Amino acid sequence: MSHPPYGVERAGMSQPFRLAIVGAGMITRESHLPSALASTLVEVTALVDPVAQRAAALAREYGIAPRIATHVGEVLGDIDGAVIATPNHTHAAIAVECLRSGVPVLIEKPLASSHQEGLAIVRAAEESGQAVAVGYATRFRESVVLLKSLLDEGHFGAVRRYVHQFGTPGGWAPLSAYNLDRKTAGGGVLVVTGTHFLDRMLCFWGYPDEVGLEDDALGGPEANCTARFRYTRTPAPFEGVARYSKTVKLPAGMVVETELGYVVLADHDEAEILFRPHAKAGVEQVIRRRGGPSQPRQRDVTLLQLEDFVAACREKRLPRVDGRQGLESLKLLEALYAHRRTMEADWYEAVRPRVAA
Amino acid sequence: MVGASGLVGSTLTERLLAQGEDEVVPFIHSSGNAMRLARRGLDLKMLDLMDRSQVEAALAGATHVVNCSRGSDEVMLYGLSNLLAASRKHRVARFVHLSSVAVYGDPPPPESSAEDAPTLPERGAYGWTKLQQDRLVAKAAAEGVPSLILCPPNISGPYSYYLVSLVNALRSGTFALLDDGSAPCNLIDVGNLCHAIQLALRVGPADGARMFVTDDADTSWRSVVESVLPLVQQDSSVPRISREQLSSDPSAGRKPPMSLMASLKHLVSSDVREAMRKDPLWEKVDVALRRGVARMGKSVESSLRLSVEGPIPVVKAVPRQRWEPGLCRQQLRGVRHSCELAKRRLGYRPVYSVPQSMQAFRNWYRASHGMDTAVWPLLRELY
Repeated sequence: MSHPPYGVERAGMSQPFRLAIVGAGMITRESHLPSALASTLVEVTALVDPVAQRAAALAREYGIAPRIATHVGEVLGDIDGAVIATPNHTHAAIAVECLRSGVPVLIEKPLASSHQEGLAIVRAAEESGQAVAVGYATRFRESVVLLKSLLDEGHFGAVRRYVHQFGTPGGWAPLSAYNLDRKTAGGGVLVVTGTHFLDRMLCFWGYPDEVGLEDDALGGPEANCTARFRYTRTPAPFEGVARYSKTVKLPAGMVVETELGYVVLADHDEAEILFRPHAKAGVEQVIRRRGGPSQPRQRDVTLLQLEDFVAACREKRLPRVDGRQGLESLKLLEALYAHRRTMEADWYEAVRPRVAA
Repeated sequence: MVGASGLVGSTLTERLLAQGEDEVVPFIHSSGNAMRLARRGLDLKMLDLMDRSQVEAALAGATHVVNCSRGSDEVMLYGLSNLLAASRKHRVARFVHLSSVAVYGDPPPPESSAEDAPTLPERGAYGWTKLQQDRLVAKAAAEGVPSLILCPPNISGPYSYYLVSLVNALRSGTFALLDDGSAPCNLIDVGNLCHAIQLALRVGPADGARMFVTDDADTSWRSVVESVLPLVQQDSSVPRISREQLSSDPSAGRKPPMSLMASLKHLVSSDVREAMRKDPLWEKVDVALRRGVARMGKSVESSLRLSVEGPIPVVKAVPRQRWEPGLCRQQLRGVRHSCELAKRRLGYRPVYSVPQSMQAFRNWYRASHGMDTAVWPLLRELY
């Protein structure tokens, strides 16, 4: 199978793609199910959740009547593909079962909770000849696609360094609370939040040569972390930093310092690429594809991702973010955790002398 | 610890665990903002305060309960009732509830330097719900649940939402100091508040009385602004606003006065009719009405439209600063709440001074935002 060219692909087939969504939690309710229902290519054939009532309630909420099952094995004979949107540590078992039955899968990010589990999924996919797509939906943003091509062309000159950050005090609250347990999530904020950027970073610049991580984990999943990357490539080595928080709201986005200026891309679906040239202080250029509307309306990236998956299954090609790429992200996550050290997080102690009573 | 994932709940849980004298069971409502505690590998229990049997089961074996929970009005009132009922059932030794100075209204009356001042929150406001909570706790105390109510003002120190919002408003130019900035700014450092809660868990009469807890300092808004200004990293000075401007600022979130005629006109306004036209039946009714009005002639139609919609509004193009009303108008609270009662009854004394508290906030903020790192020049491009 080969990779699709960058851009929007759409496979037009008369028969709807029969889809099962495994996991009736928050991400399915907010994202995968509405996208599937919005797609003209897909028919939601089954909702699978170990708690059948939860799946049935979700179906009622959207006014649909798919088959309700408690285990994906019950529906494998009746579907063309499955979206796996369950806690991270359950991805591998469900995905391997689907793939061995000839059912391709789109797996919510990250691919699995460990590289070993991810490898099992990829091997099952390669043995069965079925597609595995990984839910790094931000790769379907128009701005990301455009930036990738501009960076590849060296449009902004050589990269000197980059930084990315994303922080929210709270936010995403999965029903199962799997995110609060290192074992079920596979990590902390780096996995829950940072993995989206790690995937884009790998897409932009490839695998780094050196990595480091500072985080505030004290036995559980980290709430804050700073990851460092070094690329020792010639002629110009460069470095990157990525900062994530689940306790602080941080202005979200990426800044790349290049030979010619700063490239700024805020981290949301509608963001546009801004270029602030070194030579013209106070000037900012908005960079977008020629011929597009002045404010392009981004199609829902989850819908684009799903339709790319459907097209990949039908055309027997690789999806935009395939299992091997998901595996590369897991390799990077594990390398970062292997190099972790604890960050300073005691703000009071530095000023602690007691006030005399 | 109920509401353990919030600012106070997290700080107190961390302190109690570090001290290691108590067995702490942290209860959270959802996993979304619990990572600060989760990073410690704690067993965080999910608790739905609206589920009475779940609350009863959760409190089995608890000797002391601290309520830092927040939520909708229903959760704050019905959920608290459930907590108090379970505390009564399990005969807890102490129930400490966090109230708010908002129970005195906004702005609070001058007499509210002491706790026995009249409570005058606007019905439906946050302070009104907190006052209903206080009444529930006082009632439970009278019925045998040993309870104390601590009444903090804005909370400062690391993770302070209030100080973060002040920094953001200063950075965006939406904060102005009232006059010379000398208006009192009631604050309590989150560490001081946790210290007060710990005292309340152990000492003093548990009769359901409400006690102010503050930093016990004459802090002004100007001094608070000056403390956080280094984090803003902008050269421009802080704008000033007069009491009259602040009181009359239309951006301060005032609603138009209630009027039956205005409400009736609103019902037939184009805004409402546009929404109703989305329904096919109402669309037909609207079309019929418009045809009927059109038959009456242009001049009748125009005068009817003018009567309903009013003249076309044109706002004077005077450059006007838009202030962040919730924050700026807090400066109109001219009273300094005294923590004398807490001092007498609990032996409360602040652990951290205001300068120490502000320094801790700055330490936390600078580290959290990467301000002292080599990549700050890049990060600044995002602010």
